[in-house]
Amino acid sequence: MTSNSQKIHAMRQPTLQSLGLGSVLEIFQNGHMPLQTAELVDEVFGPEGQRGAMVISGASGIVGAGKVMQFASRLQPYGIPIIALDLPGAPDGLAQQYKGLQASFGPKAAADIMQYVVRINYDGSSLPAALHQYNPKFLLEAIPENLALKRAHYELFRNAFPGIHIWSVTSGFPSSELGVGIAHPAFPHEINKIFEIVEENPSPQTRLLWSLGLIPLKVSDNWSFVLDVFFCGLLQACLHFCHRTNTPYWKVDKYIRKVLGPNPFRAHDVIGAKGANFLTWSCLHHLSLHYGPLYRPENQLEIRKESGQNWYPLNHFRPLVNWTLDPETEAELNTIVMGALYQMTSLMVHEHRAQPAVMNLIGEVCAQFTRGILAHCRQAGPHGVRQQVAQFHKLLPEAALSPWYPQVFDQMDSPEWQQLYVNAEHNGQVGTITIARESYNRDVDAELNRAIDWLNKQGIKSVIVTGDFHLSTQMVGADTNEFFPAIVQAEEGIRIAATWSATARRLHTEFDVSVGFIHGKRCMGGMLELLMHCHYLIAPSSVSFAMPEVTLPVLPGMEGCHWALRKCPESLRINVLHMLLTGKAVKASETVGWLLDVSGTMDQCLLKAWEIANKGAKAQAPRPFVETGFAMNSLEWAALEPTTDPALQGAREAIAACIDGACAVGLEQALPLQAKYSGEFMTTQLCRRGRVGSERDKIVNV
Amino acid sequence: MTKDLNMFPEARIPFGTWGSSYFPAWQSSPLAEVNIGQFAGEGMALIMSKRKVPIRVLDYLVVGSTVPWHYKFWNATVVASCTGHRMPGHHLEQACATGLQAIVAAGAQVQSGSSEAAGVLTFDRTSDSPVGVFPERRAYRRTEVISDVWDNFGFDPSTENAMIASAGNVARKYKVDRAEIDDMVAFRYQQYFQGKESGFIQRVAVPMEVLNMQGKSMGTIADDIGVKKISLQALHAMRELETGVTGGSQTHAADGMATMLVTNKEMAKQLSTRPEIDIRFVAKAEVRVHASCMPEAPAAAVQKLLSKTGLSMNDMAVVKDHNPFAVNDAVFAKVFGYDWHKMNNNGCPLVWGHPQGPTLTRVTIEALEEAADLGGGYVLIFGCAAGDVGIAAVFKVS
Repeated sequence: MTSNSQKIHAMRQPTLQSLGLGSVLEIFQNGHMPLQTAELVDEVFGPEGQRGAMVISGASGIVGAGKVMQFASRLQPYGIPIIALDLPGAPDGLAQQYKGLQASFGPKAAADIMQYVVRINYDGSSLPAALHQYNPKFLLEAIPENLALKRAHYELFRNAFPGIHIWSVTSGFPSSELGVGIAHPAFPHEINKIFEIVEENPSPQTRLLWSLGLIPLKVSDNWSFVLDVFFCGLLQACLHFCHRTNTPYWKVDKYIRKVLGPNPFRAHDVIGAKGANFLTWSCLHHLSLHYGPLYRPENQLEIRKESGQNWYPLNHFRPLVNWTLDPETEAELNTIVMGALYQMTSLMVHEHRAQPAVMNLIGEVCAQFTRGILAHCRQAGPHGVRQQVAQFHKLLPEAALSPWYPQVFDQMDSPEWQQLYVNAEHNGQVGTITIARESYNRDVDAELNRAIDWLNKQGIKSVIVTGDFHLSTQMVGADTNEFFPAIVQAEEGIRIAATWSATARRLHTEFDVSVGFIHGKRCMGGMLELLMHCHYLIAPSSVSFAMPEVTLPVLPGMEGCHWALRKCPESLRINVLHMLLTGKAVKASETVGWLLDVSGTMDQCLLKAWEIANKGAKAQAPRPFVETGFAMNSLEWAALEPTTDPALQGAREAIAACIDGACAVGLEQALPLQAKYSGEFMTTQLCRRGRVGSERDKIVNV
Repeated sequence: MTKDLNMFPEARIPFGTWGSSYFPAWQSSPLAEVNIGQFAGEGMALIMSKRKVPIRVLDYLVVGSTVPWHYKFWNATVVASCTGHRMPGHHLEQACATGLQAIVAAGAQVQSGSSEAAGVLTFDRTSDSPVGVFPERRAYRRTEVISDVWDNFGFDPSTENAMIASAGNVARKYKVDRAEIDDMVAFRYQQYFQGKESGFIQRVAVPMEVLNMQGKSMGTIADDIGVKKISLQALHAMRELETGVTGGSQTHAADGMATMLVTNKEMAKQLSTRPEIDIRFVAKAEVRVHASCMPEAPAAAVQKLLSKTGLSMNDMAVVKDHNPFAVNDAVFAKVFGYDWHKMNNNGCPLVWGHPQGPTLTRVTIEALEEAADLGGGYVLIFGCAAGDVGIAAVFKVS
């Protein structure tokens, strides 16, 4: 893709462009973020002194209460009142959220935030006079999923407050039916930052969301948006299977978690079966009216949308008889679930419901998929997807009557499909590589390699490696799901460590200048290991860094045990050792000189990164890098307080041995050596009994 | 053959849509700790899954059990919920006749047109049986405490005798020979272990892993736990507890469940694993004999049944009974001049135990499987039940 006006070339369209915010490269080029929150607050709520309020109707419900907390905590610095409007008899959802607010912000700050939350009751058919004094500018409607009710509600507000901007949180009704914009959020509503936005052009409200650190995603206007096609469609497919085989819902959840990640039935119960069952039914019902039998709600869903009954057995009927699917039945489950999801995906791609990267991310961040469905499609390939759907139609011939667009999968070789998580841009001189996934996995690794290849082919010798300023707001490390096979097979762990390390080294060896730039909340573990391979590392002072591997425990496998030490003055190495051996987080501002090269305000960091990317050592000399071996005695030098936790002690000793071993050899020998340490550690009892091993047992041993 | 041979002309038992858990002996397995109604419901769903029967095709559930279990007040509905399918149904019980009565009740349900597909689900847990506290003004303490299984085995309130006394009475009445009893018991064990070695038992019984509250395995019930090979010598050496009754020649308390389906003709063809096999209800009979003579009741019931149907023992392809005492079979053989070696192939309750509710269901399932192996024919099922009752039924497999 080429943006002629700015002469910026990109592998695929940056998702930021869908918000009208340009490209990531432009952010560095301009030296500042594309939007200023204060200006947007003025635009949406009016200037200081004449500020209006945000109204959230249905504020006591699960969506409304979560969004009250989310917006109140973000808009409090600007003095925006959040009017929590609901019926007087509604159960108090806000009080239930308050504990979480306290946990996140502390009691004092939580109390301060709540000062801006104003609860007002109404009778549902008229607005109270008290509302007028707050001058509502922005209504986020979260009332029950009833089209007539919602329309009447908007009418009420429009009559009382002409010009008010209205968004609905509906999961199923299109904007064209409602006559308002859509901002469909995802569970858990108090912390999930994603909003599916339906609007022609990015509104100031959408931009404000982005500026507040939330994640607005542009989707098209349809009956049910991307998230709910996945979320409801998965439940529907599982119900088909359950009803064919009698397999209990709780057991299907376990198999689905192993294969895909989500627990579709548990998720409904956790959200609140009464509401979630109805919403899922509503979405499927309307989808079935437009797209046929694949989406027709299963009988059990019809029943449970009325009864609100949980899918999991009640406590006194916790399951007694275990189920193990034989290979044939497990294959049937796989065929039904993947076949249905592939067919549904084909519809959404055909209708251009969202950019592929966005569609893929929605599945991961909002519907618990370990890997997005598009990544699954890509792995299966166009032929594999067709075969799976053909098998699915044999099992459920009715499904073949619904739309199925296999031809959309023929586009899989395009950059839009190939670069779901990693994008690259350049202006002919400097490139950016952006990572839009919080954790590193095989997909990110493959896409990162393709991005590096592409920049190489374009002759780009200077690169900034960073997040995408949109889909990913932090970098949490390696995706530990990837390690599960390594728990029982050291060779697999060694392979992962060696492969990912080799990718990371390309940032060091294949560019004249590489700058790692962290802009989110935190950067940890594998992602930090990746970025420390850049010649420079830059982050605003608010960013936290940590190497939490010792607490899991696993051994850092992407050269974290020696790379930072090779770039660190001898006198400061103790800081790296403490980070590796305690797992504690450190603020960016405290790491300059031994981990970071530059820290400061966001704008300072953006400017410096761009300067370094363009001028290299002329802008700032890189820290010296020791390629030869040197002696370390990590445990003794770190001089940590002794621990009474044998697991922590064991992990420290193992990491210290890896540090000492990998530092003692030259750079070439260090890669395979630390991969060996890392891979072999994963098969130890220490790791198997730790978090990764326990997670694996829970997920894999169905 | 002069009488009606088609008790429920519209009802069929779809071949293969059945199964049972194994029957672990009293207090020998995790089943001792579970709510057996829940176990049975979940177990039925599992068995039907293995038989490729979606539980949702059922529109009725006949539940049979004899030992009170938690939530029994809600009877078939709560058990149905544990199958994952909220169907209506009812509970019935008649001691060890429960299994056969439940099958017949399901047949009647279909025959009446009230159901297209009725499930039969029978179960009991004799382990850790509940203890009832009953106000009893005529008793010295004004209150009676009764352990449901053991106190009832030991005291028939109509006669004041124990079950075992009835076996002794009948053994004496028919002059049953102890040596013949021991030979018979040894042969019954041989039949059971042949059934295991041939894989026959495994076709009927489904292993089930039992989970604790945390979802961790408490073990898999994959055997009739407690049943061990026994020698004739060991049987001879056993002390006689009553005439003709030793520890070896009477059954043992056990836990378990057994299930099958009864449907109309059309649905039987759809659900059966072998649609070419047709299984019909032929007839049923019940009798009550003299006080404390329970082991002769089954023979009397069979006599009544044969007279009713015009069939003879020579017409029977498979003969199988609930025989809590070996005396039952010895008396039956004497009454009919029937060679007891020809009955109870592949096992019987004398060997694999006595969980009451599901006992005759498993007997019936095994008998129908055997009949199919033999190419069809009449199947005679009979047994005794508390209160000196005998019950018998004939099915036709063709």
